[in-house]
Amino acid sequence: MNQNLAQFIFSGTTTGAIYALIALGFCIVENSMKIVNFAQGDFLTLGGMFMFSMLYALHLSILPAIVLSVLAVALIGAAMERFALRLAKSKETVVLVFITIGASIFIRGGIKLIWGKSPKSLPYFSGAHPIDLLGARILPQSLWVIGGTIAVFLALHHFFHHTKQGKAMKAVAYDPKAAALMGINVEAMMMLSLALAGGVGAVAGILIIPITTMTFDMGVMLGLKGFAAAVLGGYGDVMGAVIGGLLLGLLESLGAGLISSTYKDVIAFVVLLLVLFLRPRGILGKEEWERV
Amino acid sequence: MKKLMVVLLFIGLVIQPALAKEKVAAKKEPIKVGAFFALSGPAAFIGTPTKLVAQMAADEINRQGGINGRPIELVFGDTEGDPTKAVAIAKKFIYVDKVVAIIGPTRTGTGMAVKKIVEQAHVPTIMTVGGDPVIMGGRFGSYRYIFKTPQRSSTAVKKIFIYLKKKGIKTVAILTSSDGFGKDGKRWLLKLTPQYGIKVVAQESFSPSDTDMTSQLASIRTKNPQAIICWTIGPAGSIVAKNVKQLGINVPLIQCHGLPDPKYVELAGEAANGSIMPSTKLMAWQQLPDKDPQKPVIARFVHLYKDVYHYDKEFPINTHSGYAWDALMILTRAMRKSGPDRERLRDAIEKTKGYVGISGVYTMSPKDHNGLGVDSMIMVRVENGHWVMESY
Repeated sequence: MNQNLAQFIFSGTTTGAIYALIALGFCIVENSMKIVNFAQGDFLTLGGMFMFSMLYALHLSILPAIVLSVLAVALIGAAMERFALRLAKSKETVVLVFITIGASIFIRGGIKLIWGKSPKSLPYFSGAHPIDLLGARILPQSLWVIGGTIAVFLALHHFFHHTKQGKAMKAVAYDPKAAALMGINVEAMMMLSLALAGGVGAVAGILIIPITTMTFDMGVMLGLKGFAAAVLGGYGDVMGAVIGGLLLGLLESLGAGLISSTYKDVIAFVVLLLVLFLRPRGILGKEEWERV
Repeated sequence: MKKLMVVLLFIGLVIQPALAKEKVAAKKEPIKVGAFFALSGPAAFIGTPTKLVAQMAADEINRQGGINGRPIELVFGDTEGDPTKAVAIAKKFIYVDKVVAIIGPTRTGTGMAVKKIVEQAHVPTIMTVGGDPVIMGGRFGSYRYIFKTPQRSSTAVKKIFIYLKKKGIKTVAILTSSDGFGKDGKRWLLKLTPQYGIKVVAQESFSPSDTDMTSQLASIRTKNPQAIICWTIGPAGSIVAKNVKQLGINVPLIQCHGLPDPKYVELAGEAANGSIMPSTKLMAWQQLPDKDPQKPVIARFVHLYKDVYHYDKEFPINTHSGYAWDALMILTRAMRKSGPDRERLRDAIEKTKGYVGISGVYTMSPKDHNGLGVDSMIMVRVENGHWVMESY
């Protein structure tokens, strides 16, 4: 057995947790508006950048900086719903998705203007001293990322399955008109979902900036990986997002370590394609039944 | 007869001054030079300061009377680091703006994309890209009109190997990015190792947008190399440095000549300490021996950059800072001899001899369109966040 196996698995888990966190953001908007929000990756960049400013420009300590950054991006998410998506005359999926692409470009431009083009980084939250575990060396920051993903997953799982609000949000996605007739405030639900997606994106950005560093266009590539993870797990399923993310991360890291680092992305995408051939709705995706 | 006199007088009074006037206008008409860099996109943090330095050099040239009395005018373009955009801008420079020559672009990929176009249009182009294929012939196409100011990758590789040989290091692992720049480095690393008696015991690669390279480094660790050579630009290099420290790998980490930049230290933090890399003399110019002819030239450049233009606040000086300056100065030197005729200008650039620039002393030839050797570089090491000259 390869002596580095534990290292590959822990590296893959960390990367996978990052993808899962982004996939969860995609999942929230799918569960309220049934659209793919292409600005999800940019929410992540925004979170990292706000964190950078909170720490270095406002000199806050870590906890208040995290809370304020998450709130700031949640607010931007809500604003995106209120001032872009809601104003669209047509509620066709294609139109709304294009608006999110526009918002994504707009946010990237804004980040470039405010924070500049050069990459940013932060020190690790709890030191750079790696922990030895089963022969692998793990950064404490990785535990922050994995812990953050688990926390967000549990919160969202609870929200969608055990709260009235969460169920109402899913109802809006299923049929906005029927939901409105049941007394659900459809617009408020959509706004809430974008705010949540913004908050989750910000959490991801804040947790990963010490590991990955942050540039204004970082969200594009990570957003795509997160999207792939969400599709792999079953688009819109909270559990599926986590499974898809972890699987993609592990495939990349094991592919790089055990087979070839040159072809690691190819390996990951071949598996992605295979899964989608066999299960077009993703690992946990359910067939949709239309009642006629 | 009288009529003829009147006509002659008329010619003398009206047409002659008109002609003279035209002459003055021709004298003052600016010489247009196209300048395109990656002002946005992933290489924006290199491209933007390059543009600022190009403008600074143009101002300096114009202050000294321009080119035989005609000022130089830069026409700027943003390639976004995208080959397609770069091609569109190069065509605009040539056919719309009708520039005499071009400087830029920033990335090797964009350089390769415009290579064919400027060759076909016979426009002298001095590039500021890292990779060598732009000035390589054979399957890379012709390079009659193309020059580049940054050192060749092969020069940086040789500098590294000379250093390793001096340190008695015989086995290395190489870790390269999968983009054009990384592949170029890998090609030279593998090609030149036999000449220096060095063995490559592991080869790994990563995508420049990757966020974690511990898998590759863990595989490298099992092969026990005496040094690790990493070839990439941008934040990925600092992630590699962090991952090396995370895994507790204690052999020297050698980075490529693209990374000597205060940003590297900022992004990698503590993990940057101990990294060794080949660099232009700009990174540790105060530590150069006084006999080095570049020292006063660099001092003047740094003075302008820091004290006159105040660029260092947003873009601290890095190893790349001088490329655009050298490109424009070489162009100007040649144009003062040749005039703005493209063909004669090309010949004059190729005859550049002993130009003392920021990035080295340039001596070009028909075979060498770069003109820099290993003596133009130094090895630098990061020590407590500062750049120290490791070997001259």
